[in-house]
Amino acid sequence: MYNPKALCSAPWARRFGFAGWGELPWATKTTELALSSSFSRAVYSQIEEIGWEHLVKVAEDLSFVTFRVIDKKERVHELEILLDKSYPNCPPSVSADVPYIFDLEWSTNSRLSDVVKQFRQHLEKLQQFWSTLEEIDQSLWISDSAQLHRATPYRHINIGNDCSVILLIHASDPRSLPECHFMGSDEQVNLLRDKWRRNCKRWTKDKLFTENLANVLEVDLPGPPGIEKNDQQIECGICYSQFLPIDDELGGESGGKTDYTCENSTCSKAFHSVCLRDWLRSITTTRQSFDVLFGNCPYCSDPVAVKIGTRT
Amino acid sequence: MTGSSASSRKVLSKIATNRLQKELVEWQVNPPSGFLHKVTDNLQRWVIEVYGAQGTIYAGEKYQLQVDFPEHYPMEAPQVIFLHPAPLHPHIYSNGHICLDILYDSWSPAMTVSSICISILSMLSSSTVKERPEDNDRYVKNCRNGRSPKETRWWFHDDKV
Repeated sequence: MYNPKALCSAPWARRFGFAGWGELPWATKTTELALSSSFSRAVYSQIEEIGWEHLVKVAEDLSFVTFRVIDKKERVHELEILLDKSYPNCPPSVSADVPYIFDLEWSTNSRLSDVVKQFRQHLEKLQQFWSTLEEIDQSLWISDSAQLHRATPYRHINIGNDCSVILLIHASDPRSLPECHFMGSDEQVNLLRDKWRRNCKRWTKDKLFTENLANVLEVDLPGPPGIEKNDQQIECGICYSQFLPIDDELGGESGGKTDYTCENSTCSKAFHSVCLRDWLRSITTTRQSFDVLFGNCPYCSDPVAVKIGTRT
Repeated sequence: MTGSSASSRKVLSKIATNRLQKELVEWQVNPPSGFLHKVTDNLQRWVIEVYGAQGTIYAGEKYQLQVDFPEHYPMEAPQVIFLHPAPLHPHIYSNGHICLDILYDSWSPAMTVSSICISILSMLSSSTVKERPEDNDRYVKNCRNGRSPKETRWWFHDDKV
């Protein structure tokens, strides 16, 4: 998803005006550069304000910038901001892997940091949506799970008996009764539809999504096919325990379960973020940006990012 | 000979104790071939017998590895040395210190005592000459005060042997 190499070289080179040797001859470009220099200066200083370490990509002509934003649950998001030459008089357009985008509040005094700030607030609103989807993905048998994005609001769930259901989860109210579409033999589908109609008032927002679904369909829903493997994965790859020791020093995380999984799907090693943090802190190659440590998974060496400080 | 620093070691943290107990169980169920570890009460120091592999220049020979675990294992690598007499090998000093990156800079908590042992045996097995590192005398002299190999700034030799 994000490429740490791109962070080190490209933005800095561009910051110092190195546009690449392919741009020669310089002379023809000079006038153009002068015209756009106030625009560039504004954009550079606004990137600086957010922090170069959060920058993932930037177009050579500054027509777009992409920032990495980490939410409360340490999910890594990328926010792409499209700028045209009328910036900041016209609001930039934004895109990200989210189920719906926010309406940007913009004035001529607004800066890129305001966009990032509003994106963070938007992520905050979507936390329950993603936790609900994660709950579904972890405990049910999902078809085509490889094609899912953070923006995807539906799940195709295998419910046994050669039947499946596509559920559309409401991004703004994820715990509410989803829209459904059953698939399978006519006979089975009719049965399921009847049950859904009869039982859908049993759906309550204070229960887990998967629990509601099992209640409404009156079946034990099959779990993910690799569930046996999951049992081992629950142990932390560093301390080898499922639960952290009970220890005052660990504060709120004392006795906690593994709460971090390597995002590389072929690795998916589970960790306590406390353990991963301790490990990243003990080596010199780890980089820190504000309250996030960036390093590599001890197993697969893919990038990992973990927040420091206790989480609520 | 070595290991005077061991006396000042701190006791293992809870996390280290838990993890070592699990590694020990795993070792007992599935020991790496060519190694023998007689389990003692001392979780913090393991003494492991190493048998030179058949078909290598160490075949039929037996050595002893001493593995000492730091308080914050596995965030820090264990200290691994050969007890006297250390095998004659281009990366093993006569005081038992081993020049092997995974014991120092390249350590990761994804490794285990068992995986270290396998690396050491493979290092032994790939050697074609029985000789000490070129700088053996100088290095051993510098370590006379019982310095741990973990305090050495290692310059790793080639990875052929």
